[in-house]
Amino acid sequence: MGDASAGATGTGRNEAPAGSDPIPAKAHAANLELWNAWSRIHEHAPGYNTAGFLSGETSLTPVELEELGSYVHEGTTLLHLQCHFGLDTMSWARLGADVVGLDFSGEAVALARRLAGEAGLSARSEFICSDLYDADSHLGVRRFDVVFVNWGAIEWLPDLERWAGIVARHLKPGGTFYMAEIHPFAQTLDDDAPEGELRVRYRYFPAPDEPDVDAINGSYADPDADTTGLVSYCWAHSFAEILGALTGAGLHLEQFHEFPFAPAPLWSWTIQEGKIFWLPDGSGGRRRDQPLTYTLRASKPAA
Amino acid sequence: MLDDYLKANLASWDEVTSVHVASDLYDVDGFRAGRNSLSSLEQTELSPLVGEGTSMLHLQCHFGLDTLSWVRQGATATGMDFSGEAIAQARSLAEELGLSQRATFVQSDLYHLPDVLEGEFDVVFTSWGALIWLGDLERWAQIVARFLKPGGTFYVAEFHPNAFLFADDSTPESLRIGYPYFQYGVPQRFDEPGDYADPDARTQNTVTFEWNHGLGEIIDPLLRNGLRLDFLHEFPYTIPGLPFPFLELCEDGLKRVKGRHDDVALSFSLRMTKEG
Repeated sequence: MGDASAGATGTGRNEAPAGSDPIPAKAHAANLELWNAWSRIHEHAPGYNTAGFLSGETSLTPVELEELGSYVHEGTTLLHLQCHFGLDTMSWARLGADVVGLDFSGEAVALARRLAGEAGLSARSEFICSDLYDADSHLGVRRFDVVFVNWGAIEWLPDLERWAGIVARHLKPGGTFYMAEIHPFAQTLDDDAPEGELRVRYRYFPAPDEPDVDAINGSYADPDADTTGLVSYCWAHSFAEILGALTGAGLHLEQFHEFPFAPAPLWSWTIQEGKIFWLPDGSGGRRRDQPLTYTLRASKPAA
Repeated sequence: MLDDYLKANLASWDEVTSVHVASDLYDVDGFRAGRNSLSSLEQTELSPLVGEGTSMLHLQCHFGLDTLSWVRQGATATGMDFSGEAIAQARSLAEELGLSQRATFVQSDLYHLPDVLEGEFDVVFTSWGALIWLGDLERWAQIVARFLKPGGTFYVAEFHPNAFLFADDSTPESLRIGYPYFQYGVPQRFDEPGDYADPDARTQNTVTFEWNHGLGEIIDPLLRNGLRLDFLHEFPYTIPGLPFPFLELCEDGLKRVKGRHDDVALSFSLRMTKEG
């Protein structure tokens, strides 16, 4: 159609991309400052329950455990991209995996390493501080059984073709890519809307040169935290773009599920039930008719 | 046995077929004169795979204009639809245009197609407003896989599930969610006297039952039935038949959300290949 906005991506680009980080310097600096601040806040934030993790609880959601759990065994190697301070990474380590978590925030990685020590998981948990787009220079030729991405990761990335190339390069042939993410349609809805109101505010189709720039008010894991002056730069991604990037990198889609709940309060008025947040139906119950999250599983063909 | 939903929908489609044949939207006279009824999506994305002798199965073909457009391009096509009125019109048109040697039309509801049709096809095709008439995409995906040759192509050009979400009183400035994305097999009941091809038509069979389907609900069962995803594309425009008031018809003959031409997903296309 010659319509770039349609997200008809997937040019089959598999080579290691040259060039600089596609995140503009100003956006990179703002997002790094935000995630360093959030890392300090999140160690003690109610939404993360670090104390519960240290006492043995998993931080993973039931969906992730059910859908990826059967691919993670004693000795499975797992790479977690954009791992924040590593609770989910280490929850896979507790299930037997040898894990590598990668994150661009030095504060997050330092906290992850400290918690790995406290949890007795240092021997099978490695944390790397790296920009996502610079992952190759840290990972070299290392390949993993599983590459894992979850919850609010890709919105911080403007270029999914390069992201998918990194995923594919660090998967073993026959390996499994799994992601659990916020639904792209839910990402278009107005997060400041009054209770029960779902209305479109943001674009659905990607615009790499037009990030959404928002002032930050607290955190998804601690709404009352002081985040004065912090700003986020995020990028919209359509399903066509996401799936096109992964198929373009040579992965085969195996599973695509959508869910009417999320692991974080996308609106202040969602209903919490354990780790899961639901839309209210207006009469005290949960609303199940709108998509808030999705999961994808893809495989790298055996050589 | 036809269930009650299917009976109501069948009565509606039997009735509106003659409305559609006479409508400007379907422009049957133009088609007789050689107009290609396929949208720019199918013409761009599927046409390269359809040539002389390509065998095609068109699911839910209505009265067959698109089926016959593929025949004009060289395909040997079978169109299936649950409406006897639509199939009769399709056969009549194929005869009139001298295309009946390479166009077969079969009346069947989708789920029972294997009872009345044999064989495997190079291409299975479905488009524009077909999926909302199906409550069970698990069985649909099995049918698609059943009729595809190994290595064959499945192609869909459809309204995006997001396009069906907006409340009736939505405006381009305020697109509010009023309809479900997930229906879990439970249909929505509509009771509307008009028709998308002729809003002034006053039909008798006004009650229909429809199912919106999320992209995961569409794609996941196809993956489980041995089809590999080649691409999913999404588009901020759609064909003129979508009658929502927040859309406007643009110079290129496609509809977009007024003032938000690049923002909202209104269509998708999907191409998959049967493995083996």
